[in-house]
Amino acid sequence: MSELEWRRALRDLKQPSTPARDLWPDIAAALDATPSATAKHKRRPWMLAAVVAAAFLLAGGIGASLHGRAGQDLGDAATARVTPADPRLRGAVIELDATREVLQGALQQNPDSPLLRRLLARTERQQVALQHLAHEAG
Amino acid sequence: MPATPIAPDPDADDVRAASTGDRLAFQRLYRRHVDRVHGAMCRLAGYDRARAEDLTQDAFVRAWQKLPQFRHEAAFGTWLYRLAINLALMALRAQRADPVTFDAADTLPDPANTPFCAAERAELQAAIGRLPPRARTVLVLHDIEGWHHAEIGAALAIAAGTSKAQLHRARTLLRAALGGST
Repeated sequence: MSELEWRRALRDLKQPSTPARDLWPDIAAALDATPSATAKHKRRPWMLAAVVAAAFLLAGGIGASLHGRAGQDLGDAATARVTPADPRLRGAVIELDATREVLQGALQQNPDSPLLRRLLARTERQQVALQHLAHEAG
Repeated sequence: MPATPIAPDPDADDVRAASTGDRLAFQRLYRRHVDRVHGAMCRLAGYDRARAEDLTQDAFVRAWQKLPQFRHEAAFGTWLYRLAINLALMALRAQRADPVTFDAADTLPDPANTPFCAAERAELQAAIGRLPPRARTVLVLHDIEGWHHAEIGAALAIAAGTSKAQLHRARTLLRAALGGST
């Protein structure tokens, strides 16, 4: 076989090939188990906007309040849950918990969102600060 | 000079429908393109039919997931083909320690009972299947699929020179496997 024939023989291997069985039933089953990106994309705009807006409102307001009361003394290990006596702090605890849950739920839908990750990290820092503040206040 | 009319893309409507979640439209796309994708998967998998079927299924599942990102800048078939090949390359790379199983020689068609061209083709396919995975991948992409070394290098994360060296090695091994009759 000449070089030309050799190359042609290889090129001739580029042929479609029908699978021995119909692969569609297995593919359809896999699609059932795997939501399309379409569905995720459809959910994203309003859901992401709502979550981000809520997180900013809640975390921003609480953060400003914490900053005014506790300054920069955030501490980093105050993770033990304390129920504050001050009703304003109790309300803040509830709101931060709710914010955190919403953000965690949103992250399950959009695990690659850096914005949601930053908001969740900020919320968690504020929770730590709040716990620290509540602990100090007794 | 009148402009040459552009042939309508037979996939366009189904692609749009499938990208909004229309499963039947996607099934039609599957029917139209499965043979081309499966052919490429067969060649990359060294004609391991079971592996090729798995890779083909994975390619269509991934295509369904990525369809909303398809921008109609290329034909759907071209996009699907590249997606399938990239997916297969990743899968084959991940299984480097578990090389593709090859057809045993005794399962190949008996040349005496097979038309000459078909026997020759089966022999060539079997020899390609027995190549080391990396050399086979480069040979398939370059000599059969028609890719350039730069493209192969980018897809396999190797230098173009390495791709050339692998191709030379693959051709040498292939000629040896075919008994020097080439």
